[in-house]
Amino acid sequence: MPQQDQTEERLRPLMIRSLEGDSGAHRQLLGALGRYLRGYFARRIGSATAEVEDLVQETLLAVHLKRDSYDRSLPFTPWAYALARYKLIDHFRRRSRSIQVPLEDAGALFAAEDAEEGALRTDLDRLLQRLPDRQRSLIEDVKLQGLSVEEAAQKRGVTAVSARVMLHRSLKWLNQALRDENE
Amino acid sequence: MRTSDFIELLARDVRAIPPGVVNRKLLAALVAGGAVTLAIVALGLHCQPLLAAAQQPWFWMKAAYTALLTVAGVVILRRLSVPGAKVGAAPLTAALIVLAMVALGAAQILSVAPADRVALWLGRTWKVCSPLILLLAIPIYACLAVAIRRLAPTRPALAGAAAGFAAGALAATVYGLHCPEQAAAFVATWYTLGVAAATGLGAIAGARLLRW
Repeated sequence: MPQQDQTEERLRPLMIRSLEGDSGAHRQLLGALGRYLRGYFARRIGSATAEVEDLVQETLLAVHLKRDSYDRSLPFTPWAYALARYKLIDHFRRRSRSIQVPLEDAGALFAAEDAEEGALRTDLDRLLQRLPDRQRSLIEDVKLQGLSVEEAAQKRGVTAVSARVMLHRSLKWLNQALRDENE
Repeated sequence: MRTSDFIELLARDVRAIPPGVVNRKLLAALVAGGAVTLAIVALGLHCQPLLAAAQQPWFWMKAAYTALLTVAGVVILRRLSVPGAKVGAAPLTAALIVLAMVALGAAQILSVAPADRVALWLGRTWKVCSPLILLLAIPIYACLAVAIRRLAPTRPALAGAAAGFAAGALAATVYGLHCPEQAAAFVATWYTLGVAAATGLGAIAGARLLRW
Protein backbone atom coordinates (compact mmCIF):
# COMPACT_ATOMS: atom_id res chain seq x y z
CA MET A 1 0.00 0.00 0.00
CA PRO A 2 2.01 2.99 -1.27
CA GLN A 3 0.10 5.58 0.76
CA GLN A 4 1.00 3.80 3.96
CA ASP A 5 4.63 3.52 2.85
CA GLN A 6 4.63 7.29 2.51
CA THR A 7 3.21 7.66 6.00
CA GLU A 8 5.89 5.32 7.29
CA GLU A 9 8.61 7.29 5.51
CA ARG A 10 7.27 10.51 6.97
CA LEU A 11 6.66 9.38 10.56
CA ARG A 12 9.48 6.94 11.25
CA PRO A 13 12.27 9.56 10.99
CA LEU A 14 10.25 11.78 13.35
CA MET A 15 10.05 8.93 15.87
CA ILE A 16 13.77 8.22 15.60
CA ARG A 17 14.54 11.89 16.21
CA SER A 18 12.07 11.97 19.08
CA LEU A 19 13.92 9.03 20.64
CA GLU A 20 17.13 11.02 20.27
CA GLY A 21 15.53 13.73 22.39
CA ASP A 22 14.35 16.14 19.65
CA SER A 23 11.24 17.79 21.08
CA GLY A 24 10.35 19.51 17.79
CA ALA A 25 10.19 16.15 16.04
CA HIS A 26 8.21 14.77 18.96
CA ARG A 27 5.67 17.59 18.68
CA GLN A 28 5.33 17.06 14.93
CA LEU A 29 4.94 13.31 15.39
CA LEU A 30 2.23 13.62 18.06
CA GLY A 31 0.44 16.25 15.97
CA ALA A 32 0.30 13.96 12.93
CA LEU A 33 -0.66 10.94 15.04
CA GLY A 34 -3.43 12.95 16.71
CA ARG A 35 -5.00 13.73 13.33
CA TYR A 36 -4.86 10.07 12.27
CA LEU A 37 -6.12 8.81 15.63
CA ARG A 38 -9.09 11.18 15.52
CA GLY A 39 -10.17 9.77 12.17
CA TYR A 40 -9.58 6.17 13.22
CA PHE A 41 -11.49 6.37 16.53
CA ALA A 42 -14.33 8.34 14.92
CA ARG A 43 -14.75 5.57 12.34
CA ARG A 44 -14.77 2.93 15.08
CA ILE A 45 -16.93 4.46 17.81
CA GLY A 46 -18.90 7.09 15.90
CA SER A 47 -17.81 10.66 15.20
CA ALA A 48 -20.63 12.18 17.25
CA THR A 49 -19.26 10.70 20.49
CA ALA A 50 -17.46 13.01 22.88
CA GLU A 51 -15.23 10.07 23.76
CA VAL A 52 -13.28 10.30 20.51
CA GLU A 53 -11.16 13.25 21.59
CA ASP A 54 -10.66 11.75 25.06
CA LEU A 55 -9.37 8.61 23.44
CA VAL A 56 -7.07 10.63 21.17
CA GLN A 57 -5.51 12.35 24.20
CA GLU A 58 -5.22 9.11 26.14
CA THR A 59 -3.51 7.39 23.23
CA LEU A 60 -1.14 10.30 22.62
CA LEU A 61 -0.16 10.09 26.28
CA ALA A 62 0.43 6.35 25.88
CA VAL A 63 2.55 6.94 22.77
CA HIS A 64 4.51 9.52 24.75
CA LEU A 65 5.06 7.32 27.81
CA LYS A 66 5.64 4.07 25.92
CA ARG A 67 8.34 5.25 23.54
CA ASP A 68 10.67 2.80 25.32
CA SER A 69 8.84 -0.08 23.71
CA TYR A 70 9.55 1.00 20.13
CA ASP A 71 12.24 -1.11 18.50
CA ARG A 72 14.14 1.06 16.00
CA SER A 73 14.76 -1.91 13.73
CA LEU A 74 11.01 -2.32 13.12
CA PRO A 75 8.62 -0.13 11.11
CA PHE A 76 6.84 2.61 13.04
CA THR A 77 3.26 2.53 11.71
CA PRO A 78 2.45 -1.02 13.00
CA TRP A 79 3.73 0.05 16.44
CA ALA A 80 1.46 3.09 16.49
CA TYR A 81 -1.47 1.07 15.15
CA ALA A 82 -1.03 -1.62 17.84
CA LEU A 83 -1.09 1.05 20.57
CA ALA A 84 -4.19 2.70 19.09
CA ARG A 85 -5.98 -0.64 18.75
CA TYR A 86 -5.07 -1.54 22.34
CA LYS A 87 -6.54 1.73 23.58
CA LEU A 88 -9.70 1.13 21.54
CA ILE A 89 -10.12 -2.41 22.93
CA ASP A 90 -9.51 -1.05 26.43
CA HIS A 91 -12.16 1.62 25.82
CA PHE A 92 -14.76 -1.02 24.89
CA ARG A 93 -13.71 -3.27 27.76
CA ARG A 94 -14.20 -0.51 30.31
CA ARG A 95 -17.69 0.04 29.02
CA SER A 96 -18.29 -3.70 29.22
CA ARG A 97 -19.07 -3.80 25.56
CA SER A 98 -17.79 -7.00 24.05
CA ILE A 99 -17.09 -5.57 20.64
CA GLN A 100 -14.53 -7.39 18.59
CA VAL A 101 -11.89 -5.08 17.19
CA PRO A 102 -10.57 -6.74 14.05
CA LEU A 103 -6.80 -7.00 13.73
CA GLU A 104 -6.20 -5.02 10.57
CA ASP A 105 -3.29 -3.72 8.64
CA ALA A 106 -1.72 -0.58 10.13
CA GLY A 107 -3.28 1.27 7.19
CA ALA A 108 -6.57 1.23 9.11
CA LEU A 109 -5.13 3.89 11.40
CA PHE A 110 -3.46 5.94 8.70
CA ALA A 111 -6.39 6.12 6.28
CA ALA A 112 -7.27 9.79 6.77
CA GLU A 113 -6.23 12.80 8.84
CA ASP A 114 -8.72 14.90 10.76
CA ALA A 115 -7.44 18.15 12.24
CA GLU A 116 -10.77 19.26 13.73
CA GLU A 117 -10.59 18.72 17.50
CA GLY A 118 -13.78 17.37 19.02
CA ALA A 119 -15.48 17.97 22.35
CA LEU A 120 -13.95 16.44 25.48
CA ARG A 121 -15.65 14.56 28.24
CA THR A 122 -12.70 14.43 30.61
CA ASP A 123 -10.78 17.66 31.04
CA LEU A 124 -7.11 16.97 31.68
CA ASP A 125 -6.77 20.39 33.32
CA ARG A 126 -9.31 19.32 35.93
CA LEU A 127 -7.36 16.11 36.65
CA LEU A 128 -4.09 18.01 36.88
CA GLN A 129 -5.63 20.20 39.62
CA ARG A 130 -5.34 17.17 41.88
CA LEU A 131 -1.55 17.07 41.64
CA PRO A 132 0.52 18.18 44.63
CA ASP A 133 1.19 21.95 44.60
CA ARG A 134 4.78 21.85 43.42
CA GLN A 135 4.00 19.66 40.44
CA ARG A 136 0.87 21.58 39.59
CA SER A 137 2.59 24.93 39.58
CA LEU A 138 5.40 23.54 37.42
CA ILE A 139 2.86 22.37 34.86
CA GLU A 140 1.09 25.73 34.96
CA ASP A 141 4.35 27.57 34.35
CA VAL A 142 5.18 25.34 31.44
CA LYS A 143 1.73 25.14 29.95
CA LEU A 144 0.03 28.45 30.60
CA GLN A 145 3.04 30.74 30.59
CA GLY A 146 4.89 28.78 27.95
CA LEU A 147 8.13 28.65 29.93
CA SER A 148 10.71 26.01 29.13
CA VAL A 149 11.28 23.41 31.84
CA GLU A 150 14.61 25.07 32.62
CA GLU A 151 13.00 28.49 33.03
CA ALA A 152 10.24 27.08 35.20
CA ALA A 153 12.82 25.29 37.33
CA GLN A 154 14.73 28.51 37.84
CA LYS A 155 11.57 30.37 38.77
CA ARG A 156 10.63 27.77 41.37
CA GLY A 157 14.16 27.38 42.69
CA VAL A 158 14.70 23.73 41.80
CA THR A 159 17.29 22.14 39.55
CA ALA A 160 16.41 21.54 35.90
CA VAL A 161 16.91 17.80 36.43
CA SER A 162 14.41 17.56 39.26
CA ALA A 163 11.94 19.74 37.33
CA ARG A 164 12.22 17.33 34.41
CA VAL A 165 11.68 14.36 36.72
CA MET A 166 8.68 16.10 38.27
CA LEU A 167 7.12 16.80 34.89
CA HIS A 168 7.59 13.21 33.73
CA ARG A 169 6.13 11.86 36.98
CA SER A 170 3.17 14.19 36.65
CA LEU A 171 2.44 12.81 33.19
CA LYS A 172 2.71 9.23 34.45
CA TRP A 173 0.37 10.16 37.27
CA LEU A 174 -2.00 11.72 34.73
CA ASN A 175 -2.05 8.46 32.78
CA GLN A 176 -3.09 6.58 35.91
CA ALA A 177 -5.66 9.23 36.89
CA LEU A 178 -7.15 9.04 33.41
CA ARG A 179 -7.48 5.26 33.69
CA ASP A 180 -9.07 5.47 37.13
CA GLU A 181 -11.45 8.14 35.89
CA ASN A 182 -12.70 5.97 33.07
CA GLU A 183 -12.71 2.66 34.95
CA MET B 1 -7.27 21.00 27.77
CA ARG B 2 -7.18 21.16 24.01
CA THR B 3 -5.30 18.36 22.30
CA SER B 4 -2.89 20.79 20.65
CA ASP B 5 -2.06 22.30 24.06
CA PHE B 6 -1.63 18.83 25.49
CA ILE B 7 0.87 18.00 22.73
CA GLU B 8 2.81 21.16 23.61
CA LEU B 9 2.96 19.96 27.20
CA LEU B 10 4.14 16.48 26.17
CA ALA B 11 6.79 18.02 23.91
CA ARG B 12 8.35 19.60 27.02
CA ASP B 13 8.98 16.14 28.43
CA VAL B 14 11.20 14.57 25.77
CA ARG B 15 14.20 12.61 26.97
CA ALA B 16 16.56 10.70 24.73
CA ILE B 17 15.98 6.97 24.90
CA PRO B 18 19.03 4.83 24.16
CA PRO B 19 18.61 1.88 21.77
CA GLY B 20 18.30 -1.57 23.31
CA VAL B 21 16.15 -0.52 26.27
CA VAL B 22 13.71 -3.40 25.69
CA ASN B 23 16.44 -6.04 25.83
CA ARG B 24 18.06 -4.51 28.88
CA LYS B 25 14.79 -4.41 30.81
CA LEU B 26 13.99 -8.03 30.04
CA LEU B 27 17.51 -9.17 30.84
CA ALA B 28 17.52 -7.28 34.14
CA ALA B 29 14.21 -8.93 35.10
CA LEU B 30 15.52 -12.39 34.24
CA VAL B 31 18.70 -11.84 36.23
CA ALA B 32 16.88 -10.42 39.25
CA GLY B 33 14.14 -13.06 39.31
CA GLY B 34 16.60 -15.84 38.46
CA ALA B 35 18.84 -14.78 41.35
CA VAL B 36 15.97 -15.04 43.84
CA THR B 37 15.01 -18.47 42.52
CA LEU B 38 18.65 -19.58 42.59
CA ALA B 39 18.95 -18.44 46.21
CA ILE B 40 15.82 -20.39 47.15
CA VAL B 41 17.14 -23.54 45.46
CA ALA B 42 20.66 -23.22 46.89
CA LEU B 43 19.63 -22.31 50.44
CA GLY B 44 16.19 -23.89 50.76
CA LEU B 45 16.35 -27.05 48.70
CA HIS B 46 20.14 -27.57 48.45
CA CYS B 47 21.92 -28.48 45.28
CA GLN B 48 22.84 -32.02 44.43
CA PRO B 49 26.60 -32.76 44.27
CA LEU B 50 27.20 -30.69 41.16
CA LEU B 51 30.72 -31.83 40.26
CA ALA B 52 29.60 -35.43 39.99
CA ALA B 53 26.33 -34.53 38.27
CA ALA B 54 28.06 -32.35 35.69
CA GLN B 55 29.88 -35.40 34.38
CA GLN B 56 26.61 -37.17 33.58
CA PRO B 57 24.85 -36.77 30.25
CA TRP B 58 21.40 -36.70 31.90
CA PHE B 59 22.34 -33.55 33.80
CA TRP B 60 23.06 -31.72 30.56
CA MET B 61 20.06 -33.25 28.82
CA LYS B 62 17.83 -31.63 31.45
CA ALA B 63 19.72 -28.34 31.39
CA ALA B 64 19.63 -28.17 27.59
CA TYR B 65 15.89 -28.89 27.44
CA THR B 66 14.88 -26.23 29.94
CA ALA B 67 17.46 -23.68 28.76
CA LEU B 68 16.22 -23.98 25.16
CA LEU B 69 12.65 -23.51 26.37
CA THR B 70 13.76 -20.43 28.31
CA VAL B 71 15.32 -18.89 25.22
CA ALA B 72 12.21 -19.61 23.14
CA GLY B 73 9.99 -18.17 25.89
CA VAL B 74 12.01 -14.98 26.18
CA VAL B 75 11.97 -14.47 22.40
CA ILE B 76 8.17 -14.83 22.37
CA LEU B 77 7.82 -12.55 25.39
CA ARG B 78 9.98 -9.86 23.82
CA ARG B 79 7.85 -9.86 20.70
CA LEU B 80 4.65 -9.64 22.73
CA SER B 81 6.01 -6.71 24.75
CA VAL B 82 6.70 -4.60 21.68
CA PRO B 83 3.55 -3.33 19.94
CA GLY B 84 3.19 -4.38 16.35
CA ALA B 85 6.00 -6.96 16.39
CA LYS B 86 5.14 -10.29 14.80
CA VAL B 87 5.34 -13.31 17.10
CA GLY B 88 6.46 -15.48 14.17
CA ALA B 89 7.54 -19.11 14.45
CA ALA B 90 8.95 -19.00 17.99
CA PRO B 91 5.93 -20.76 19.60
CA LEU B 92 6.26 -23.49 16.99
CA THR B 93 9.94 -23.85 17.87
CA ALA B 94 9.01 -24.17 21.55
CA ALA B 95 6.43 -26.83 20.69
CA LEU B 96 9.01 -28.75 18.65
CA ILE B 97 11.49 -28.69 21.55
CA VAL B 98 8.80 -30.15 23.84
CA LEU B 99 7.87 -32.76 21.23
CA ALA B 100 11.51 -33.79 20.85
CA MET B 101 11.78 -34.23 24.63
CA VAL B 102 8.55 -36.23 24.77
CA ALA B 103 9.81 -38.44 21.93
CA LEU B 104 13.08 -38.99 23.79
CA GLY B 105 11.16 -39.89 26.95
CA ALA B 106 8.84 -42.23 25.09
CA ALA B 107 11.76 -43.98 23.40
CA GLN B 108 13.39 -44.45 26.79
CA ILE B 109 10.20 -45.90 28.31
CA LEU B 110 9.87 -48.35 25.43
CA SER B 111 13.51 -49.41 25.78
CA VAL B 112 13.11 -50.79 29.31
CA ALA B 113 11.24 -53.87 30.49
CA PRO B 114 7.48 -53.23 30.98
CA ALA B 115 7.77 -53.93 34.72
CA ASP B 116 10.28 -51.09 35.16
CA ARG B 117 8.44 -48.47 33.15
CA VAL B 118 6.31 -46.88 35.87
CA ALA B 119 9.27 -46.56 38.24
CA LEU B 120 11.30 -44.88 35.50
CA TRP B 121 8.48 -42.50 34.67
CA LEU B 122 7.62 -41.47 38.23
CA GLY B 123 11.15 -41.50 39.62
CA ARG B 124 11.19 -40.70 43.34
CA THR B 125 10.10 -37.09 43.26
CA TRP B 126 7.28 -36.88 40.70
CA LYS B 127 4.83 -35.55 43.26
CA VAL B 128 6.90 -32.51 44.16
CA CYS B 129 8.61 -31.76 40.84
CA SER B 130 5.91 -29.81 38.97
CA PRO B 131 4.62 -27.89 42.03
CA LEU B 132 8.16 -26.86 42.98
CA ILE B 133 8.91 -25.61 39.48
CA LEU B 134 5.67 -23.63 39.58
CA LEU B 135 6.57 -22.07 42.94
CA LEU B 136 10.12 -21.29 41.83
CA ALA B 137 8.73 -19.54 38.76
CA ILE B 138 6.89 -16.96 40.87
CA PRO B 139 9.83 -14.61 41.60
CA ILE B 140 10.89 -14.67 37.94
CA TYR B 141 7.34 -14.09 36.75
CA ALA B 142 6.94 -11.17 39.14
CA CYS B 143 10.10 -9.48 37.85
CA LEU B 144 9.13 -10.11 34.22
CA ALA B 145 5.62 -8.75 34.82
CA VAL B 146 6.99 -5.52 36.27
CA ALA B 147 9.38 -5.16 33.32
CA ILE B 148 6.90 -5.79 30.51
CA ARG B 149 4.17 -3.72 32.10
CA ARG B 150 6.55 -0.78 31.63
CA LEU B 151 6.88 -1.76 28.00
CA ALA B 152 3.61 -2.10 26.12
CA PRO B 153 2.08 -5.57 25.89
CA THR B 154 -0.97 -5.07 23.67
CA ARG B 155 -2.23 -8.62 24.30
CA PRO B 156 -1.99 -8.94 28.10
CA ALA B 157 -3.14 -12.55 28.46
CA LEU B 158 -0.79 -13.81 25.76
CA ALA B 159 2.09 -11.77 27.15
CA GLY B 160 1.29 -13.22 30.58
CA ALA B 161 1.37 -16.74 29.15
CA ALA B 162 4.75 -16.07 27.53
CA ALA B 163 6.10 -14.60 30.79
CA GLY B 164 4.83 -17.65 32.68
CA PHE B 165 6.39 -19.98 30.13
CA ALA B 166 9.76 -18.21 30.26
CA ALA B 167 9.64 -18.01 34.07
CA GLY B 168 8.69 -21.69 34.36
CA ALA B 169 11.44 -22.79 31.98
CA LEU B 170 14.10 -20.74 33.77
CA ALA B 171 12.84 -21.98 37.15
CA ALA B 172 13.06 -25.56 35.83
CA THR B 173 16.65 -24.92 34.72
CA VAL B 174 17.57 -23.72 38.21
CA TYR B 175 15.60 -26.58 39.78
CA GLY B 176 17.81 -28.97 37.78
CA LEU B 177 20.67 -28.00 40.10
CA HIS B 178 18.72 -29.64 42.92
CA CYS B 179 16.71 -32.38 41.26
CA PRO B 180 18.60 -35.69 41.01
CA GLU B 181 16.16 -37.37 38.64
CA GLN B 182 17.87 -38.79 35.59
CA ALA B 183 15.20 -40.18 33.28
CA ALA B 184 14.25 -38.40 30.07
CA ALA B 185 10.69 -39.70 30.57
CA PHE B 186 10.59 -38.02 33.96
CA VAL B 187 11.79 -34.68 32.60
CA ALA B 188 9.50 -34.83 29.57
CA THR B 189 6.50 -35.27 31.87
CA TRP B 190 6.99 -33.52 35.18
CA TYR B 191 9.27 -30.67 34.13
CA THR B 192 7.02 -29.96 31.16
CA LEU B 193 3.95 -30.06 33.38
CA GLY B 194 5.50 -27.51 35.75
CA VAL B 195 6.28 -25.17 32.85
CA ALA B 196 2.77 -25.69 31.44
CA ALA B 197 1.19 -24.80 34.79
CA ALA B 198 3.29 -21.64 34.99
CA THR B 199 2.17 -20.75 31.45
CA GLY B 200 -1.52 -21.17 32.27
CA LEU B 201 -1.39 -19.25 35.54
CA GLY B 202 0.80 -16.63 33.87
CA ALA B 203 -1.92 -16.07 31.27
CA ILE B 204 -4.64 -15.69 33.92
CA ALA B 205 -2.54 -13.29 36.00
CA GLY B 206 -1.35 -11.42 32.91
CA ALA B 207 -4.89 -10.66 31.74
CA ARG B 208 -5.26 -8.55 34.90
CA LEU B 209 -1.73 -7.46 35.81
CA LEU B 210 -0.40 -6.49 32.41
CA ARG B 211 -2.88 -3.76 31.52
CA TRP B 212 -1.50 -0.27 31.32
